[in-house]
Amino acid sequence: MRGCALLVSVVSLAACDLGGGFRGIAVDPPLEMPTFAFTRADGSTFRTSPEPGRPMVLFFGYTHCPDVCPTTLADWKRVRATLGDEAKAVRFVFVTVDPDRDTPAVAERYARMYDVSFEGVSGDAITTSRMMDAFGVAAAREPGTNATGYLVSHSSQVFLVDSHGKLVALYPFGTKWEALAADLERLP
Amino acid sequence: MTSHAAPALRHGIVTATGMATTLLAACTLRSDAPVPRVDVQHSWARIADSGGISGVYMEIVNNDTVPITLVGVTTTDAGAAEVHETTQRDDMAIMTARPGLRIPVGEVAKMAPGGVHVMLIDLRRTLSVGDSVRLRLQFSDSTSVAATVPVKTP
Repeated sequence: MRGCALLVSVVSLAACDLGGGFRGIAVDPPLEMPTFAFTRADGSTFRTSPEPGRPMVLFFGYTHCPDVCPTTLADWKRVRATLGDEAKAVRFVFVTVDPDRDTPAVAERYARMYDVSFEGVSGDAITTSRMMDAFGVAAAREPGTNATGYLVSHSSQVFLVDSHGKLVALYPFGTKWEALAADLERLP
Repeated sequence: MTSHAAPALRHGIVTATGMATTLLAACTLRSDAPVPRVDVQHSWARIADSGGISGVYMEIVNNDTVPITLVGVTTTDAGAAEVHETTQRDDMAIMTARPGLRIPVGEVAKMAPGGVHVMLIDLRRTLSVGDSVRLRLQFSDSTSVAATVPVKTP
């Protein structure tokens, strides 16, 4: 919760300071993000730790989501196509906020349906909760129907973390994908 | 001058008359083509795995003389289909069921990403680009309209 409040205040300040040069909402000063580890379906480990020259784009969603999550992944696909070879270094990461239904295999397959390079990860409850807190992400179960089961309301912005592991910009849902592509191009 | 045309000429007249009749008929058919009471346009569905979830978008045009209300969608391609709406509140995406979508006379209900959509639940097969799903839109006056929706590149 503290992380959430911190992030909101940073974003509020950043929204006033448009000098960051980002087409998304700049996080100024950038926030150093903790590293989180996820076990993939094949048993290997995916870490969000900084990698030289490899920025990271993150979104928190769930695979029973028919609208906002696939819209975001489809936008990422456009970003990747636009950047071409330059995008190969970018780590696009879909983190499920519904680990009870989304196993690592389900999350992985969902993300890769859009692009084989996309990472779809599902952590245990503690990892998911800590990561959401660090990024200021919220999620809540909502009643659904017999067919859908429960629905999940969730934060819908995309996060850009630079190759030093610092959160540098946010993209609220509805931001044109070209903004993310442009910001990825300008990152060192 | 004889009133009877030579066979070749007569054949030409018959052919020309036939063509004119055909053209006239085509024009007549075109101008008399009935405007559908409800027209489904620009529909598309998202790719999805068998057993998974997909979203469908479309525009529904009400050409009727009375308002219509979409109350449900059925399909044999999924376990269930529901009309939902995504709204944004404080950067949170919130999805709720939309039990009745009213379309006034002459207006268009637009389903689009980030808004109203049809949610297909428990798909009976994988949806890939080039496939299609068959839906039936149910209206409050007990009428229904069939729609074949192509699966498109997301």
